[in-house]
Amino acid sequence: MSFRDILNSGKFVVTAEVGPQKGTDIKEMHHHMELLKGKLDAVNVTDNQSAVMRICSLAVCKIAMEHGLEPILQMTCRDRNRIALQSDLLGASVLGIKNVLCMTGDHVTAGDHKSAKPVYDIESVQLLKAVDGLNNGRDMSGNEMKGPTDFLQGAVVTPEANPIEPQLIKFGKKVKAGAKFFQTQAIYDIDKFKEFMRHARKFPVKVLAGFVVLKSAGMANFLNNNVPGIRVPQSLIDELKAAGKEKALETGMDITARHIRQLKEEKICDGVHIMAIGMEDKVPVIMGKAGLL
Amino acid sequence: MIISKKKDFRHLMDNIGRYNNFFLIGCSECASLCGTGGEPEIKELTEALKAQGKSVSGGFVAKTGCQVLGTKVELKKFKNEVDSADCILIMSCGAGTQAAVELYEDKAVYPTNDSLFLGNMTRFQMFDERCSLCGECIIDMTGGICPVTTCPKGLLNGPCGGCNDGNCEVSPDIKCAWVKIYERMKRLDRLQELCETTIEAKDWSKAQKPRNHYAKEEKKK
Ligand code: SF4
Ligand code: SF4
Repeated sequence: MSFRDILNSGKFVVTAEVGPQKGTDIKEMHHHMELLKGKLDAVNVTDNQSAVMRICSLAVCKIAMEHGLEPILQMTCRDRNRIALQSDLLGASVLGIKNVLCMTGDHVTAGDHKSAKPVYDIESVQLLKAVDGLNNGRDMSGNEMKGPTDFLQGAVVTPEANPIEPQLIKFGKKVKAGAKFFQTQAIYDIDKFKEFMRHARKFPVKVLAGFVVLKSAGMANFLNNNVPGIRVPQSLIDELKAAGKEKALETGMDITARHIRQLKEEKICDGVHIMAIGMEDKVPVIMGKAGLL
Repeated sequence: MIISKKKDFRHLMDNIGRYNNFFLIGCSECASLCGTGGEPEIKELTEALKAQGKSVSGGFVAKTGCQVLGTKVELKKFKNEVDSADCILIMSCGAGTQAAVELYEDKAVYPTNDSLFLGNMTRFQMFDERCSLCGECIIDMTGGICPVTTCPKGLLNGPCGGCNDGNCEVSPDIKCAWVKIYERMKRLDRLQELCETTIEAKDWSKAQKPRNHYAKEEKKK
Protein backbone atom coordinates (compact mmCIF):
# COMPACT_ATOMS: atom_id res chain seq x y z
CA MET A 1 0.00 0.00 0.00
CA SER A 2 1.27 3.49 -0.74
CA PHE A 3 1.91 6.00 2.03
CA ARG A 4 -1.11 7.97 0.82
CA ASP A 5 -3.38 4.93 1.09
CA ILE A 6 -2.02 3.97 4.49
CA LEU A 7 -2.60 7.51 5.78
CA ASN A 8 -6.14 7.44 4.51
CA SER A 9 -6.78 3.93 5.84
CA GLY A 10 -6.70 5.19 9.41
CA LYS A 11 -3.84 2.90 10.39
CA PHE A 12 -1.35 4.38 12.90
CA VAL A 13 1.42 5.52 10.57
CA VAL A 14 5.14 5.29 11.24
CA THR A 15 7.76 7.27 9.37
CA ALA A 16 11.41 7.83 10.12
CA GLU A 17 14.16 9.81 8.55
CA VAL A 18 17.36 9.15 6.69
CA GLY A 19 19.89 11.94 6.66
CA PRO A 20 22.06 11.96 3.54
CA GLN A 21 25.71 12.37 4.31
CA LYS A 22 28.50 14.55 3.08
CA GLY A 23 30.53 12.55 0.60
CA THR A 24 30.02 9.67 -1.76
CA ASP A 25 30.78 6.66 0.42
CA ILE A 26 27.24 5.53 1.16
CA LYS A 27 27.81 2.01 2.49
CA GLU A 28 26.42 2.91 5.90
CA MET A 29 23.36 4.52 4.35
CA HIS A 30 22.63 1.36 2.37
CA HIS A 31 22.92 -0.58 5.62
CA HIS A 32 20.47 1.72 7.42
CA MET A 33 18.00 1.45 4.58
CA GLU A 34 18.16 -2.34 4.73
CA LEU A 35 17.47 -2.16 8.47
CA LEU A 36 14.42 0.05 7.94
CA LYS A 37 13.06 -1.85 4.98
CA GLY A 38 9.61 -3.35 5.50
CA LYS A 39 9.18 -1.65 8.87
CA LEU A 40 8.16 1.90 7.95
CA ASP A 41 5.26 3.33 6.03
CA ALA A 42 7.57 5.92 4.52
CA VAL A 43 10.99 7.39 5.06
CA ASN A 44 11.82 11.09 4.96
CA VAL A 45 14.99 12.11 3.21
CA THR A 46 16.25 15.40 4.61
CA ASP A 47 17.32 18.30 2.40
CA ASN A 48 20.74 19.61 3.39
CA GLN A 49 19.58 19.44 6.98
CA SER A 50 20.64 22.30 9.26
CA ALA A 51 21.98 24.02 6.14
CA VAL A 52 24.91 21.59 6.09
CA MET A 53 25.83 20.59 2.54
CA ARG A 54 25.25 16.88 1.82
CA ILE A 55 24.00 14.54 -0.93
CA CYS A 56 20.80 15.93 -2.40
CA SER A 57 17.52 14.59 -1.12
CA LEU A 58 16.31 13.64 -4.59
CA ALA A 59 19.15 11.18 -5.25
CA VAL A 60 18.80 9.56 -1.84
CA CYS A 61 15.02 9.22 -2.32
CA LYS A 62 15.74 7.27 -5.48
CA ILE A 63 18.16 4.99 -3.62
CA ALA A 64 15.57 4.49 -0.87
CA MET A 65 13.11 3.31 -3.51
CA GLU A 66 15.65 0.81 -4.77
CA HIS A 67 15.71 -0.57 -1.22
CA GLY A 68 11.93 -0.94 -1.29
CA LEU A 69 11.28 2.07 0.96
CA GLU A 70 8.70 4.71 0.09
CA PRO A 71 10.42 8.10 0.30
CA ILE A 72 9.12 11.48 1.40
CA LEU A 73 11.19 14.10 -0.39
CA GLN A 74 11.98 16.95 1.96
CA MET A 75 12.26 20.23 0.10
CA THR A 76 13.42 23.47 1.59
CA CYS A 77 13.23 26.89 -0.01
CA ARG A 78 16.66 27.92 1.18
CA ASP A 79 18.78 26.81 -1.76
CA ARG A 80 16.58 26.97 -4.85
CA ASN A 81 14.42 29.57 -6.52
CA ARG A 82 10.96 28.75 -7.85
CA ILE A 83 12.34 27.50 -11.16
CA ALA A 84 14.72 25.04 -9.52
CA LEU A 85 12.12 23.88 -6.98
CA GLN A 86 9.50 23.13 -9.59
CA SER A 87 12.05 21.53 -11.86
CA ASP A 88 13.23 19.24 -9.04
CA LEU A 89 9.62 18.40 -8.28
CA LEU A 90 9.02 17.35 -11.88
CA GLY A 91 12.24 15.36 -11.71
CA ALA A 92 11.08 13.66 -8.52
CA SER A 93 7.75 12.88 -10.10
CA VAL A 94 9.22 11.15 -13.14
CA LEU A 95 11.51 9.14 -10.85
CA GLY A 96 8.39 7.83 -9.11
CA ILE A 97 8.62 9.84 -5.89
CA LYS A 98 5.12 10.38 -4.57
CA ASN A 99 5.45 12.40 -1.38
CA VAL A 100 6.94 15.79 -0.70
CA LEU A 101 7.42 17.66 2.55
CA CYS A 102 7.48 21.43 1.99
CA MET A 103 9.59 23.42 4.40
CA THR A 104 11.23 26.82 4.68
CA GLY A 105 14.61 25.44 5.73
CA ASP A 106 17.12 26.52 8.36
CA HIS A 107 19.00 29.70 7.50
CA VAL A 108 22.48 29.30 6.00
CA THR A 109 23.94 30.85 9.15
CA ALA A 110 23.09 27.57 10.95
CA GLY A 111 25.17 25.46 8.57
CA ASP A 112 28.64 24.88 7.23
CA HIS A 113 28.56 27.33 4.29
CA LYS A 114 27.81 30.49 6.18
CA SER A 115 28.80 32.81 3.35
CA ALA A 116 26.29 31.24 0.92
CA LYS A 117 23.47 33.39 -0.43
CA PRO A 118 20.18 32.23 1.05
CA VAL A 119 17.46 32.05 -1.61
CA TYR A 120 13.94 31.98 -0.08
CA ASP A 121 12.45 33.11 -3.38
CA ILE A 122 9.27 31.48 -2.09
CA GLU A 123 8.45 29.92 1.28
CA SER A 124 6.70 26.86 2.63
CA VAL A 125 3.11 28.07 2.16
CA GLN A 126 3.81 29.18 -1.40
CA LEU A 127 5.69 25.94 -2.12
CA LEU A 128 2.64 23.96 -0.98
CA LYS A 129 0.54 26.01 -3.38
CA ALA A 130 3.06 25.37 -6.13
CA VAL A 131 2.84 21.61 -5.55
CA ASP A 132 -0.94 21.85 -5.68
CA GLY A 133 -0.61 23.69 -8.99
CA LEU A 134 1.75 21.07 -10.43
CA ASN A 135 -0.68 18.35 -9.33
CA ASN A 136 -3.29 20.19 -11.35
CA GLY A 137 -1.08 20.47 -14.40
CA ARG A 138 0.03 24.08 -14.03
CA ASP A 139 3.30 25.66 -13.01
CA MET A 140 3.63 28.72 -10.79
CA SER A 141 3.34 31.05 -13.76
CA GLY A 142 0.12 29.39 -14.80
CA ASN A 143 1.62 27.62 -17.80
CA GLU A 144 -0.03 24.37 -18.73
CA MET A 145 2.31 21.38 -18.47
CA LYS A 146 2.53 18.23 -20.47
CA GLY A 147 1.43 15.85 -17.74
CA PRO A 148 0.72 16.83 -14.12
CA THR A 149 2.43 15.53 -11.00
CA ASP A 150 0.63 13.43 -8.41
CA PHE A 151 2.23 14.32 -5.11
CA LEU A 152 0.94 13.90 -1.61
CA GLN A 153 2.17 17.10 -0.05
CA GLY A 154 2.95 17.58 3.60
CA ALA A 155 4.35 20.26 5.86
CA VAL A 156 5.87 20.74 9.28
CA VAL A 157 4.60 22.42 12.41
CA THR A 158 6.10 23.19 15.82
CA PRO A 159 3.46 22.37 18.45
CA GLU A 160 5.52 23.88 21.26
CA ALA A 161 6.50 27.09 19.49
CA ASN A 162 6.63 30.11 21.74
CA PRO A 163 4.57 32.16 21.09
CA ILE A 164 2.21 29.56 19.63
CA GLU A 165 -0.43 31.81 18.00
CA PRO A 166 1.59 32.91 14.92
CA GLN A 167 2.61 29.26 14.43
CA LEU A 168 -1.03 28.15 14.49
CA ILE A 169 -1.99 30.85 12.00
CA LYS A 170 0.69 29.52 9.67
CA PHE A 171 -0.52 25.96 10.25
CA GLY A 172 -3.97 27.05 9.04
CA LYS A 173 -2.47 28.70 5.97
CA LYS A 174 -0.53 25.54 5.14
CA VAL A 175 -3.71 23.48 5.30
CA LYS A 176 -5.43 25.98 3.03
CA ALA A 177 -2.46 25.83 0.65
CA GLY A 178 -2.97 22.09 0.25
CA ALA A 179 -0.97 20.32 2.97
CA LYS A 180 -2.43 16.86 3.49
CA PHE A 181 -0.23 15.71 6.34
CA PHE A 182 1.99 17.28 8.98
CA GLN A 183 5.09 16.00 10.69
CA THR A 184 5.82 17.89 13.88
CA GLN A 185 8.95 19.16 15.54
CA ALA A 186 10.02 16.80 18.34
CA ILE A 187 7.55 16.66 21.21
CA TYR A 188 8.20 15.51 24.79
CA ASP A 189 5.12 16.62 26.67
CA ILE A 190 2.08 14.59 25.69
CA ASP A 191 -0.39 16.74 27.62
CA LYS A 192 0.79 19.83 25.79
CA PHE A 193 0.69 17.96 22.52
CA LYS A 194 -2.91 17.00 23.22
CA GLU A 195 -3.69 20.71 23.47
CA PHE A 196 -2.15 21.28 20.06
CA MET A 197 -4.10 18.34 18.64
CA ARG A 198 -7.38 19.77 19.89
CA HIS A 199 -6.64 22.68 17.55
CA ALA A 200 -5.27 20.55 14.71
CA ARG A 201 -8.26 18.22 14.75
CA LYS A 202 -10.40 21.07 13.43
CA PHE A 203 -8.60 20.69 10.11
CA PRO A 204 -8.87 17.85 7.58
CA VAL A 205 -5.23 16.80 7.85
CA LYS A 206 -3.21 13.93 9.26
CA VAL A 207 -0.70 14.68 12.00
CA LEU A 208 2.38 12.59 12.75
CA ALA A 209 4.04 13.47 16.03
CA GLY A 210 7.80 13.99 15.80
CA PHE A 211 10.25 12.16 18.07
CA VAL A 212 13.92 12.68 18.74
CA VAL A 213 15.34 10.13 21.16
CA LEU A 214 17.06 11.58 24.20
CA LYS A 215 20.49 10.03 24.66
CA SER A 216 21.25 11.70 27.97
CA ALA A 217 20.19 14.39 30.41
CA GLY A 218 22.89 16.56 28.86
CA MET A 219 21.30 16.23 25.44
CA ALA A 220 17.90 17.15 26.88
CA ASN A 221 19.35 20.29 28.41
CA PHE A 222 21.10 21.10 25.16
CA LEU A 223 17.84 20.80 23.22
CA ASN A 224 16.04 23.00 25.75
CA ASN A 225 18.68 25.68 25.50
CA ASN A 226 19.49 25.59 21.81
CA VAL A 227 16.70 24.23 19.69
CA PRO A 228 13.70 26.50 19.18
CA GLY A 229 10.35 24.87 19.79
CA ILE A 230 11.67 21.94 21.81
CA ARG A 231 10.80 21.65 25.50
CA VAL A 232 11.90 18.59 27.43
CA PRO A 233 10.05 18.55 30.78
CA GLN A 234 12.17 18.38 33.93
CA SER A 235 10.57 15.04 34.91
CA LEU A 236 12.11 13.37 31.83
CA ILE A 237 15.50 14.96 32.50
CA ASP A 238 15.33 13.58 36.04
CA GLU A 239 14.39 10.15 34.71
CA LEU A 240 17.44 10.16 32.42
CA LYS A 241 19.69 11.34 35.25
CA ALA A 242 18.44 8.63 37.56
CA ALA A 243 19.15 6.00 34.90
CA GLY A 244 22.87 6.84 34.99
CA LYS A 245 25.27 7.19 32.07
CA GLU A 246 25.22 3.57 30.95
CA LYS A 247 21.46 3.23 30.87
CA ALA A 248 20.62 6.72 29.59
CA LEU A 249 20.16 5.83 25.92
CA GLU A 250 18.06 2.79 26.84
CA THR A 251 15.91 5.01 29.05
CA GLY A 252 15.62 7.61 26.29
CA MET A 253 14.36 4.93 23.93
CA ASP A 254 11.94 3.69 26.60
CA ILE A 255 10.57 7.20 27.01
CA THR A 256 10.02 7.55 23.25
CA ALA A 257 8.38 4.11 23.10
CA ARG A 258 6.14 4.94 26.06
CA HIS A 259 5.01 8.19 24.44
CA ILE A 260 4.35 6.50 21.11
CA ARG A 261 2.25 3.82 22.83
CA GLN A 262 0.20 6.47 24.60
CA LEU A 263 -0.42 8.43 21.38
CA LYS A 264 -1.52 5.28 19.64
CA GLU A 265 -3.67 3.88 22.43
CA GLU A 266 -5.43 7.17 23.12
CA LYS A 267 -5.70 7.89 19.39
CA ILE A 268 -4.25 11.35 19.96
CA CYS A 269 -2.78 11.70 16.47
CA ASP A 270 -2.47 9.73 13.23
CA GLY A 271 1.02 8.42 13.57
CA VAL A 272 4.61 9.18 14.50
CA HIS A 273 7.76 10.37 12.80
CA ILE A 274 11.01 9.18 14.36
CA MET A 275 14.02 11.39 13.73
CA ALA A 276 17.02 9.26 14.61
CA ILE A 277 19.69 11.84 13.73
CA GLY A 278 22.59 9.47 13.16
CA MET A 279 21.03 6.55 15.06
CA GLU A 280 19.00 5.07 12.22
CA ASP A 281 19.88 1.58 13.49
CA LYS A 282 17.97 2.32 16.71
CA VAL A 283 14.68 3.00 14.92
CA PRO A 284 13.66 -0.69 14.74
CA VAL A 285 14.57 -1.05 18.44
CA ILE A 286 12.31 1.84 19.40
CA MET A 287 9.55 0.48 17.19
CA GLY A 288 9.88 -2.89 18.88
CA LYS A 289 9.64 -1.33 22.33
CA ALA A 290 6.57 0.67 21.24
CA GLY A 291 4.87 -2.44 19.93
CA LEU A 292 4.89 -1.25 16.35
CA LEU A 293 6.63 -4.26 14.80
CA MET B 1 18.41 57.32 4.15
CA ILE B 2 21.37 55.49 2.63
CA ILE B 3 23.63 54.18 5.34
CA SER B 4 27.35 54.34 4.65
CA LYS B 5 30.42 53.34 6.60
CA LYS B 6 34.00 54.52 6.19
CA LYS B 7 36.35 52.07 4.56
CA ASP B 8 39.27 51.05 6.69
CA PHE B 9 41.92 53.77 6.09
CA ARG B 10 44.70 51.33 5.28
CA HIS B 11 42.47 49.58 2.78
CA LEU B 12 41.58 52.97 1.26
CA MET B 13 45.28 53.86 0.96
CA ASP B 14 45.92 50.56 -0.84
CA ASN B 15 43.25 51.58 -3.34
CA ILE B 16 44.42 55.15 -3.93
CA GLY B 17 48.13 54.90 -3.18
CA ARG B 18 49.13 55.57 -6.78
CA TYR B 19 47.58 59.10 -6.75
CA ASN B 20 49.06 62.17 -5.14
CA ASN B 21 46.67 65.09 -5.23
CA PHE B 22 43.07 64.68 -4.16
CA PHE B 23 39.82 66.60 -4.29
CA LEU B 24 37.21 65.48 -1.76
CA ILE B 25 33.43 65.57 -2.16
CA GLY B 26 31.10 64.89 0.77
CA CYS B 27 27.30 65.03 0.90
CA SER B 28 25.09 67.05 3.22
CA GLU B 29 22.33 64.47 3.30
CA CYS B 30 22.71 60.84 4.35
CA ALA B 31 26.51 60.76 4.53
CA SER B 32 26.61 63.74 6.88
CA LEU B 33 24.11 62.08 9.20
CA CYS B 34 26.11 58.85 9.05
CA GLY B 35 29.29 60.71 9.95
CA THR B 36 30.99 59.66 6.73
CA GLY B 37 30.78 62.70 4.45
CA GLY B 38 30.21 65.96 6.34
CA GLU B 39 32.59 68.88 7.05
CA PRO B 40 34.32 67.19 10.00
CA GLU B 41 35.00 64.03 7.98
CA ILE B 42 36.42 66.04 5.06
CA LYS B 43 38.75 67.79 7.45
CA GLU B 44 39.77 64.56 9.09
CA LEU B 45 40.51 62.80 5.79
CA THR B 46 42.41 65.83 4.48
CA GLU B 47 44.70 65.67 7.49
CA ALA B 48 45.10 61.92 7.27
CA LEU B 49 46.06 62.14 3.59
CA LYS B 50 48.57 64.89 4.31
CA ALA B 51 50.09 62.78 7.04
CA GLN B 52 50.67 60.14 4.36
CA GLY B 53 52.59 62.68 2.24
CA LYS B 54 49.70 63.35 -0.14
CA SER B 55 48.26 66.72 -1.05
CA VAL B 56 44.67 67.84 -1.13
CA SER B 57 43.65 70.52 -3.62
CA GLY B 58 40.30 71.15 -1.94
CA GLY B 59 36.97 69.73 -1.02
CA PHE B 60 33.36 70.55 -0.30
CA VAL B 61 30.13 69.07 0.94
CA ALA B 62 27.68 68.71 -1.94
CA LYS B 63 24.07 69.50 -1.11
CA THR B 64 22.85 66.16 -2.53
CA GLY B 65 25.69 64.14 -3.97
CA CYS B 66 23.50 61.72 -5.90
CA GLN B 67 21.74 64.57 -7.67
CA VAL B 68 23.85 64.73 -10.82
CA LEU B 69 22.88 68.12 -12.25
CA GLY B 70 22.77 69.96 -8.92
CA THR B 71 26.21 68.65 -8.01
CA LYS B 72 27.54 69.62 -11.43
CA VAL B 73 26.43 73.23 -10.85
CA GLU B 74 27.93 73.29 -7.34
CA LEU B 75 31.24 71.96 -8.67
CA LYS B 76 31.67 74.83 -11.15
CA LYS B 77 33.33 77.05 -8.60
CA PHE B 78 35.86 74.33 -7.76
CA LYS B 79 37.07 73.93 -11.36
CA ASN B 80 40.72 74.76 -10.67
CA GLU B 81 40.95 72.57 -7.59
CA VAL B 82 39.37 69.65 -9.41
CA ASP B 83 41.60 70.14 -12.46
CA SER B 84 44.75 70.11 -10.36
CA ALA B 85 43.76 66.92 -8.54
CA ASP B 86 44.63 63.56 -10.08
CA CYS B 87 41.93 61.74 -8.11
CA ILE B 88 38.52 62.64 -6.73
CA LEU B 89 37.45 60.96 -3.50
CA ILE B 90 33.74 60.61 -2.89
CA MET B 91 32.69 60.56 0.72
CA SER B 92 29.04 59.56 0.29
CA CYS B 93 27.32 56.46 -1.07
CA GLY B 94 27.83 54.43 -4.24
CA ALA B 95 25.28 56.60 -6.00
CA GLY B 96 27.21 59.74 -5.11
CA THR B 97 30.41 58.15 -6.40
CA GLN B 98 28.80 57.31 -9.70
CA ALA B 99 27.37 60.82 -10.07
CA ALA B 100 30.96 62.06 -10.01
CA VAL B 101 32.06 59.34 -12.41
CA GLU B 102 29.42 60.64 -14.82
CA LEU B 103 30.68 64.22 -14.40
CA TYR B 104 34.39 63.42 -14.73
CA GLU B 105 34.74 60.86 -17.47
CA ASP B 106 38.52 61.20 -17.69
CA LYS B 107 39.43 61.43 -14.05
CA ALA B 108 39.94 58.81 -11.38
CA VAL B 109 37.02 58.77 -8.92
CA TYR B 110 37.24 56.56 -5.81
CA PRO B 111 34.80 55.86 -2.99
CA THR B 112 35.95 56.30 0.60
CA ASN B 113 32.87 54.56 2.01
CA ASP B 114 31.03 51.27 1.81
CA SER B 115 27.31 51.71 1.16
CA LEU B 116 25.27 49.46 3.41
CA PHE B 117 21.49 49.78 3.19
CA LEU B 118 18.45 51.99 3.28
CA GLY B 119 18.06 52.67 6.96
CA ASN B 120 16.11 54.32 9.71
CA MET B 121 18.07 56.36 12.22
CA THR B 122 16.86 55.13 15.60
CA ARG B 123 19.30 57.12 17.74
CA PHE B 124 22.23 59.36 16.87
CA GLN B 125 24.22 57.46 14.23
CA MET B 126 22.43 54.18 14.95
CA PHE B 127 20.73 52.67 11.94
CA ASP B 128 18.33 49.79 11.27
CA GLU B 129 17.27 48.28 7.98
CA ARG B 130 13.49 48.18 7.62
CA CYS B 131 12.87 48.42 3.88
CA SER B 132 14.93 46.78 1.15
CA LEU B 133 13.22 48.53 -1.78
CA CYS B 134 11.65 45.38 -3.16
CA GLY B 135 9.68 47.26 -5.79
CA GLU B 136 6.20 46.31 -4.66
CA CYS B 137 5.29 47.15 -1.11
CA ILE B 138 3.22 44.57 0.73
CA ILE B 139 3.24 45.96 4.25
CA ASP B 140 -0.37 47.03 3.88
CA MET B 141 -1.04 43.34 4.60
CA THR B 142 1.41 42.96 7.48
CA GLY B 143 0.50 45.80 9.78
CA GLY B 144 3.12 48.10 8.35
CA ILE B 145 6.05 45.90 9.37
CA CYS B 146 8.17 44.58 6.52
CA PRO B 147 8.84 40.82 6.57
CA VAL B 148 10.74 41.03 3.27
CA THR B 149 13.45 42.96 5.10
CA THR B 150 13.17 42.33 8.81
CA CYS B 151 12.78 38.54 8.56
CA PRO B 152 16.17 37.17 7.45
CA LYS B 153 14.33 34.66 5.27
CA GLY B 154 11.86 37.22 3.92
CA LEU B 155 8.95 34.93 4.78
CA LEU B 156 5.56 36.28 3.76
CA ASN B 157 3.08 34.02 5.51
CA GLY B 158 4.14 33.56 9.10
CA PRO B 159 7.08 32.53 11.24
CA CYS B 160 9.41 29.63 10.54
CA GLY B 161 10.00 26.91 13.09
CA GLY B 162 13.11 28.70 14.29
CA CYS B 163 11.32 31.44 16.18
CA ASN B 164 12.69 31.13 19.69
CA ASP B 165 10.73 32.73 22.54
CA GLY B 166 9.87 35.53 20.16
CA ASN B 167 13.39 35.96 18.85
CA CYS B 168 14.78 35.08 15.45
CA GLU B 169 16.64 31.83 14.80
CA VAL B 170 19.33 33.78 12.96
CA SER B 171 20.22 35.99 15.92
CA PRO B 172 18.87 36.29 19.44
CA ASP B 173 19.38 40.05 19.06
CA ILE B 174 16.60 40.32 16.49
CA LYS B 175 12.96 39.96 17.40
CA CYS B 176 11.13 37.60 15.04
CA ALA B 177 9.48 39.78 12.39
CA TRP B 178 6.41 37.56 12.41
CA VAL B 179 5.94 37.84 16.14
CA LYS B 180 6.06 41.62 15.74
CA ILE B 181 3.57 41.46 12.89
CA TYR B 182 1.30 39.17 14.89
CA GLU B 183 1.39 41.46 17.92
CA ARG B 184 0.69 44.56 15.89
CA MET B 185 -2.15 42.99 13.92
CA LYS B 186 -3.61 41.84 17.22
CA ARG B 187 -3.44 45.36 18.64
CA LEU B 188 -5.13 46.66 15.50
CA ASP B 189 -7.80 43.96 15.78
CA ARG B 190 -6.80 42.60 12.36
CA LEU B 191 -5.97 38.98 13.29
CA GLN B 192 -8.81 37.59 11.21
CA GLU B 193 -7.31 39.26 8.16
CA LEU B 194 -3.86 37.89 9.00
CA CYS B 195 -5.27 34.36 9.15
CA GLU B 196 -7.21 34.68 5.93
CA THR B 197 -4.65 36.29 3.64
CA THR B 198 -2.09 34.16 1.94
CA ILE B 199 0.46 36.50 0.43
CA GLU B 200 1.47 35.34 -3.03
CA ALA B 201 5.06 34.74 -4.08
CA LYS B 202 6.74 38.08 -4.70
CA ASP B 203 7.14 39.36 -8.22
CA TRP B 204 10.88 39.89 -8.30
CA SER B 205 10.71 41.28 -11.81
CA LYS B 206 9.70 44.47 -10.00
CA ALA B 207 13.19 44.58 -8.55
CA GLN B 208 15.10 43.77 -11.70
CA LYS B 209 18.42 45.60 -11.79
CA PRO B 210 19.30 48.23 -12.84
CA ARG B 211 16.07 49.98 -12.08
CA ASN B 212 14.96 53.38 -13.31
CA HIS B 213 11.91 55.45 -12.72
CA TYR B 214 10.80 58.52 -14.66
CA ALA B 215 8.22 60.17 -12.44
CA LYS B 216 7.68 63.04 -14.87
CA GLU B 217 6.68 60.75 -17.73
CA GLU B 218 4.51 58.69 -15.45
CA LYS B 219 2.68 61.88 -14.43
CA LYS B 220 1.98 62.68 -18.09
CA LYS B 221 0.45 59.23 -18.58
S1 SF4 C 1 7.57 45.34 1.23
FE1 SF4 C 1 9.28 45.88 2.53
S2 SF4 C 1 11.03 45.99 1.13
FE2 SF4 C 1 9.21 46.05 -0.12
S3 SF4 C 1 8.85 48.25 -0.39
FE3 SF4 C 1 7.59 47.57 1.37
S4 SF4 C 1 8.87 47.99 3.15
FE4 SF4 C 1 10.21 48.05 1.37
S1 SF4 D 1 12.51 33.38 13.36
FE1 SF4 D 1 11.05 34.85 12.52
S2 SF4 D 1 12.29 36.53 11.70
FE2 SF4 D 1 13.67 34.79 12.03
S3 SF4 D 1 13.76 33.72 10.07
FE3 SF4 D 1 12.12 32.72 11.26
S4 SF4 D 1 10.26 33.84 10.71
FE4 SF4 D 1 11.97 35.08 10.01
